[in-house]
Amino acid sequence: MERAVLLKSPYLTYEGKILSAKMIGKEEKYFKIVLKGGRLLDFEPGQFLMVAIPGVGEAPVSISSSPSQVGYFELVVRKVGTLTSAMHKLEEGDQVGIRGPMGVGFPIQILEGSDLLFVAGGLGIIPLRSLINYAIDNRRDFGKVSILLGCKTPENLLFNDELDTWGKRLDVNFSCIVDRAAPDWKGNVGLITSLIPGVNLDSERTFAIVVGPPIMYKFVIAELLKKKIPESQIYVSLERHMKCGIGYCGHCQMGGIYCCKNGPVFQYSKIKNNIEAF
Amino acid sequence: MRKKRIAFFDFTSCEGCQLQVANLGEVLLDVLDIVDVVMFREVMSEKTEDYDIAVVEGSITTPHDVERIKEIRKKAKVLIAFGSCAAIGGINGMKNNFDLDEIKKYVYGKNAGYFETIKTSALDQVVKVDYYVYGCPIYPPDFLKVLKHAIQDIPYTTKDVAVCAECKLNENECMYDKGIACLGPVTKGGCNSWCINSGNICYGCRGMVKEPVKNGCMEVLNKYNIPVEWITSKFNMYNKTLESEDKK
Amino acid sequence: MEQYVVLNKNDFDDFIDILAKLQKLVAPVKRGEKNYAFDEVTSSSEIALKYIPTILPPKKYFLPQNETLVEYNKKQNKREGTLYSEPLTIFGVHTCDLAGIQCLNIVFSDRPMDANYNLRKKKILVIGLECNEYCDEYASCALMHNQYPNGGYDLFFTELENKFIIHVNTLSGEELIKKMGMIKPASEEDMKGLEQLRIKKRKIFKPEIDISYSNLHPLFEKSFNNDVWNDIGNRCLSCTNCTNVCPTCYCYDMGYDTDLDMNSGSLIRKWDSCQSRPFATVAGGESFRPERAARQRHRYMRKFNYAFDKYNRYFCTGCGRCSRTCMAKINLKETINTLIKTVKAEK
Repeated sequence: MERAVLLKSPYLTYEGKILSAKMIGKEEKYFKIVLKGGRLLDFEPGQFLMVAIPGVGEAPVSISSSPSQVGYFELVVRKVGTLTSAMHKLEEGDQVGIRGPMGVGFPIQILEGSDLLFVAGGLGIIPLRSLINYAIDNRRDFGKVSILLGCKTPENLLFNDELDTWGKRLDVNFSCIVDRAAPDWKGNVGLITSLIPGVNLDSERTFAIVVGPPIMYKFVIAELLKKKIPESQIYVSLERHMKCGIGYCGHCQMGGIYCCKNGPVFQYSKIKNNIEAF
Repeated sequence: MRKKRIAFFDFTSCEGCQLQVANLGEVLLDVLDIVDVVMFREVMSEKTEDYDIAVVEGSITTPHDVERIKEIRKKAKVLIAFGSCAAIGGINGMKNNFDLDEIKKYVYGKNAGYFETIKTSALDQVVKVDYYVYGCPIYPPDFLKVLKHAIQDIPYTTKDVAVCAECKLNENECMYDKGIACLGPVTKGGCNSWCINSGNICYGCRGMVKEPVKNGCMEVLNKYNIPVEWITSKFNMYNKTLESEDKK
Repeated sequence: MEQYVVLNKNDFDDFIDILAKLQKLVAPVKRGEKNYAFDEVTSSSEIALKYIPTILPPKKYFLPQNETLVEYNKKQNKREGTLYSEPLTIFGVHTCDLAGIQCLNIVFSDRPMDANYNLRKKKILVIGLECNEYCDEYASCALMHNQYPNGGYDLFFTELENKFIIHVNTLSGEELIKKMGMIKPASEEDMKGLEQLRIKKRKIFKPEIDISYSNLHPLFEKSFNNDVWNDIGNRCLSCTNCTNVCPTCYCYDMGYDTDLDMNSGSLIRKWDSCQSRPFATVAGGESFRPERAARQRHRYMRKFNYAFDKYNRYFCTGCGRCSRTCMAKINLKETINTLIKTVKAEK
C-alpha cells in the first residue's frame, strides 16, 4: 500500500482552542472557543459543527452563539456519550478538532421583517439561542419577537442570566414553563403547548421556529396550526445520528433526505409528508 | 500524570482470558508503557492493595466470592468484567441448570458438606461494572480498545450488532448454507468472527444481542431443518446465567 | 471507433500470467461449497470463470471495509488526510457489479468531494465479464437492465466458443492490450459471434418480475404503508448481511482510534448497516428507526425510491445477493411481487 497525504479532505478538522469552559447546568458544560490561526467560523444560526477529540471520537454539536457575536463561538454539551463525556473533561486552554459549519441553518433572509415566535423545549434552547441572540442583536430588522421556553424543572434551565435579560427587555416577549417544580417556583407549570394559545400574534406575518425533543414537535405544531400560522412559516430543527456531517454516511437519513446536509433546519411544509421526519 | 495501576483478579474461571493478555507478545510491552501492572498472578508474584483499575476474570459462585468482589469494587476506581465468565456468567452458568445440592454431591461426593455454593452470577449481578470485555476467551484487540477507553475514563459500549456482520465481511461461507446451526445471528459481535474464520461455529460466548428476534430465529431453524434443541443446548452453554436473571 | 479484439482460450493462461505480473490482480475464486469471492490471484487456474455473484461485491476494493481517512499525532500537533491505495486490476466483473460500481461513483462524485474514494478509484483497472446465462434464481438483472454491459469497465470479456471477444473501452484498456502480444483484432466473424450470443441472450434474459422498469419507482412511492414491511420485519434477524453484500450500499461509520502510545492514531471509516438498531440511535439513546420493519423498508426505499428521485437511477443492480445471503429468506423478487399484488389491490 502506498501512503499519500491529501491536500484536502472533508474529514480533516481545524484546531479549536478553548478560551473558557464552565458547567452551566447539572449535566451541561459551556465552551467558548476560537479557531487557531485567526480563522473565523463563518456560520448561520442553526448550523452545527462536528467536534472531534482525536483518540476519542467525533460528534455533532449545535452552535449556540449568534454569528453577530464575532471573535469566538459558543458550544454547550450535555454529557450523554463517549465524546461528550470526554468534552466534559476539557478546560480552558485545551484543544478540540472542529469540522464545519455543517448543514442548513435558519433562513434569516426569509425571516427579515417578520414577527418571530420561538418555541424551545429542553436542550432545544441551545441551538435556538443562536437565532434568538441574532434577532436581538439585529432587533430592528424583525417585527415582534416572542420566546416560549419549556423544560423539565427550574433546575434544568440554562443561560439563566440571559433568560433574565430577555424577560426584562420591552422589545421581547418571554415566557417560560416547567413540567414540575418545587412549591417556591413562581413561574408557570405545565407543558409548553399550553403557552401557545395565549400568545397574541398576527398569523400572516409570524414565523414560528421550533426546536426541542422529538416528541414535542407533533403537539407544538398542532397548536401553531390552530393559531393559523401557515405550514410554510414554521421552521424546525431536527436531531439525528450524524457521523460524516456531509451527506454520505447515511446515519441521519430521514426518508430520502439527509438531516446533516439538507437540514438540520427544515421548513415544516416541505417535510411534513416525510414519513420518517416526526 | 501517574500511570494507571492495573490489577488482575480471578474468580471461577479457567484464567484463559488472562493468558490471552500474557500472550499479547510485543503489544504487551506497549501496554506496559501506558499502565503499571501491579498484580497479575499469571506472570508475577507481587501483590498489592493499591490499584486504579481492577480487571476481573471469572464468575461469582460462592458466598466468599460475593464478599471478595465487593472488597475489590471498594478499592478499584474502575472495574472491568473480563471475559465471558465475568461479563455474562459464561460456562459456569451451566450449573444453574441443576439443583445446587445435587450438583455439590456430584462434584464433591461425601465431602459435599464442606463446601458452600450459590447460583452462578455475572459480576454485574453483584457489583457495579464499568467496562465489559466479552468472549471466551477475550479477543485481544477488543480488550485493548476497552483498556484505552478505561485509561481515558470515557465510556465504551460494545456495538449491539450480530457476529454475522463481521462474518460476512470476512467472506466466510455461512454455516446455515452448510446446514450447520450457528449462534452468529443472535450473538453480540466485536470478535471479528474469529471462530468462524477458523472453520468453527459461533457458540454465543459474547452474549446475546439486545433484541434477538425469537420468531425470526424459529423460522430460520425450520427452514434449514435444524431442531430447536440444537440451538438451545448450544445457547445454554454460555448464556444460562443471564437467562435466570430475566426470570427473577 | 469502437474497438474489439480477441483472445484465444489457449492463450488465457498467458494473458493472466502477464496481467498478474503488471500489478496486483484480483478475480473471482471459489470459496467453500457454493460460494465465490474476489481474491488475489497469480494464475488462471485459481480463477472461477463461471461463478455466481461473490459473497461481497467488488465494492470492497473501491470502499475498503476499514479505511484510514486521517492520521494524527498530538505531540507533533499534526493531522493529515491520508490515502492508502495500490494499483489494482479486477478481472471478471459481471455486468450487475459494473452497475454497482457506477452507482458508488455517482454517490461519491457529490460535494464536498470524498478524495479517498475518488483517488483510489483512479488506480483500479476494471475488466468485465459477460454472463451468457443466468447465475441462479435470485438474479433480477434483466428487470434492472443490467444483463448487458452498460460501460463502467476498461475492458469487457465475452466468452465465445473457443475465444474471448474483448471490448476495449478506455485508453487504459487499450494500453493494456498493447502489452499482450497474443491478442488479435476481431474479425467480422467474431463480431457476428458476439451478435448471435446477444440475440440468444435476449431469449434467456427476460424481466424476472412482471413489471416494467419505469413502473418500479411509482410502485415504491405508493408502498410506504404496505403490510409487506411488517411481514419482512417479523422475519428479519437484523444480521445486516443484506446491506453488507449489496453492491450499492455504502453507508459507513467513522471513529477515532488511538494507538497504544495514546499519542498518535487515526480516523477510520468502516462499513455500517442501516439494518442494525444502533445505526439511527443518537447519543442520548433515542432510536429513530427502532422497528425492523422500518429498517427493511428503508433499505428497499433507498434502492428503488430515494435513489431514483436523486440520481434518476435505481440502486438495485439485480445481482440477487441480498436474497441469496438472507438466512430468513427475505427475497427481493418476492417482496416486489407482493407489492405489485397489494398496491394494485389498494387502488
